[in-house]
Amino acid sequence: MMSIRKNVVWRLLRHNISPWQIAGYAIANLIGLTIVLTALQFYRDFTGAGSDSNDDALEMRDFLILSKKVSLLNTFGAGSTSFSQAELDRLAGQPWARRIGEFRSADFNVYASLNLGGRGMSTYLFFESIPDEFFDIKPDGWDFDPEAPVIPIVLSKDYLTLYNFGFAPTRGMPQLSEDIIKKVPLKIRLSGNGNSGTFDARIVGFSSRLNTIAVPEAVMDWADGIFAEGTEDSEDPSRIILEVTKPGDPSITEYLDSQGYEVAGDKAEASKASFILNLITGIVMAIGVIITLLAFFILTLSLYLLLQKNRATLHDLMLLGYTPDEVARYYYILVGAVNLAVLVAASVLASAASWFWEGRLDSLDFPSAPVWPTLLAGLALMAVVTSLNITAIRRTVRRAF
Amino acid sequence: MITRIELHHVLPDVFSDATDRQPVCSSQVWLRDVTFHKGRRYMIEAESGTGKSSLCSFIYGNRRDYSGAILFDGQDTRSFSPSRWSAIRKTSIALLPQEMRLFPQLTVLENIDIKNRLTHHASPQEIMNMLERVELAHKADTPAGLLSIGQQQRVAIVRALCQPMDFILLDEPVSHLDSRNNQIVASLIADEASRQGAAIIATSVGNKINIPDPEIIRL
Repeated sequence: MMSIRKNVVWRLLRHNISPWQIAGYAIANLIGLTIVLTALQFYRDFTGAGSDSNDDALEMRDFLILSKKVSLLNTFGAGSTSFSQAELDRLAGQPWARRIGEFRSADFNVYASLNLGGRGMSTYLFFESIPDEFFDIKPDGWDFDPEAPVIPIVLSKDYLTLYNFGFAPTRGMPQLSEDIIKKVPLKIRLSGNGNSGTFDARIVGFSSRLNTIAVPEAVMDWADGIFAEGTEDSEDPSRIILEVTKPGDPSITEYLDSQGYEVAGDKAEASKASFILNLITGIVMAIGVIITLLAFFILTLSLYLLLQKNRATLHDLMLLGYTPDEVARYYYILVGAVNLAVLVAASVLASAASWFWEGRLDSLDFPSAPVWPTLLAGLALMAVVTSLNITAIRRTVRRAF
Repeated sequence: MITRIELHHVLPDVFSDATDRQPVCSSQVWLRDVTFHKGRRYMIEAESGTGKSSLCSFIYGNRRDYSGAILFDGQDTRSFSPSRWSAIRKTSIALLPQEMRLFPQLTVLENIDIKNRLTHHASPQEIMNMLERVELAHKADTPAGLLSIGQQQRVAIVRALCQPMDFILLDEPVSHLDSRNNQIVASLIADEASRQGAAIIATSVGNKINIPDPEIIRL
């Protein structure tokens, strides 16, 4: 007798819903969102978001080591190759400059000796230090304790390459891996200011960013206190490291050229490549966003159309005492379900797409970035789209009250 | 609960430049002070085009194109939110619109249930009893769109009764009913109204619902 189906309200409200319009929206939004997420994951993979110490990745930030050109005048003691405070301030004020670190060189003598398979080697050296945050590596054993001084050293990767492929073969010396070098015990003799002392030292890492022999700033403070002559005529640094936010930006090269600064280990080509990659990824992502926006407008228009066609039903339900939210709720659920399905499908597609290049990245020793921040970005985007849809529904239903 | 509905100088916007002409000048409602009390019975007599459906819509809150004020127990209804109106429509004021507003694709029972599921006022048995009283129990599972206008009017009356109420607004409730059916629905409505202590406010252009001793108001 009482053959009442439960969802009698939904049966009224789903009238006029066009499955083709919903499907059209879902497909368009799926394409747009998949492009956005794939481009985002691609960008993150290739800009080294997977690792904070990977210098090889095409980063959105870059480090330039600057010095001034050495001219004949400098050779004869006239003119200065150090950066004045005014110059540093001007450089720091450039829009692409994030921060500047100063190289500090040792004001004492350094003499190193080591024993390699029975052969002794010894040489005069120099030390420099820069603030830790400019290092591309964070090696173990970088701490320094003045009570039991063991000096940790970071060496430029280029030096090892020079030794292995230039020096060692011609002199009949063994080629060395990074791991072997880290195990070699070094003796460092520091002297100056009437003092001298011999200390243990260890190479703890190799940097491809810094072409120097670097020690922690704590070592420099400690050694300067004992061995420095105190005759330094200028505190101004002669080399600085500059972090830039837009690698490859032509305005950087223009400015440095105009000031007569030299960039060590010219990275211009790699920077250009990353600049172009960023540009292309940006364009692809913009296309994805445009498609997503268009899809959003398709959905919004179909919703308006649907609500307009069902306006009399909505009005009659509210005349019976249904609140605007009670009737709109069915459309919220519809939109939420479609958008959730699109998000899940786009996440799966984007993850699958990234799988194609991540294998190749691994073989190039690029660590791939974790996928969850990309999915989170997709979730945020769809949350915004869904809440805009819901606001539009809510407004239209209230207008029918 | 609402115990009185007051109209203060209410005038539909369409009559705003005709205040000295018919139907406004001889009306006992437009531009007058009128109070409806819970528990009483009112018959608003009107000619066609004098605004009786507008009056029902103004009181029921689904139209606001009027000047003056309508007060529920002293509160101006213009300040009510949609959710407040929804609550009033579920618990205080019932409406039978002139056009019935049944959903043609739903069956008779579904049309009644769509109201009753909001209010949980009548049991399935009570609904069937009411349908039997208006002689439509055999049409319970028929889509409303297939009923005659007179039958639809009776279904809409049963639906309007499926709620707690202080007032029931009946906009030409028997315009399509013969005198026998008029008597049937009148007694059904009067029974339910007196059971709940509710006021009946009925409009009519000609065929009047047969409720006992109404106060006659000329629109």
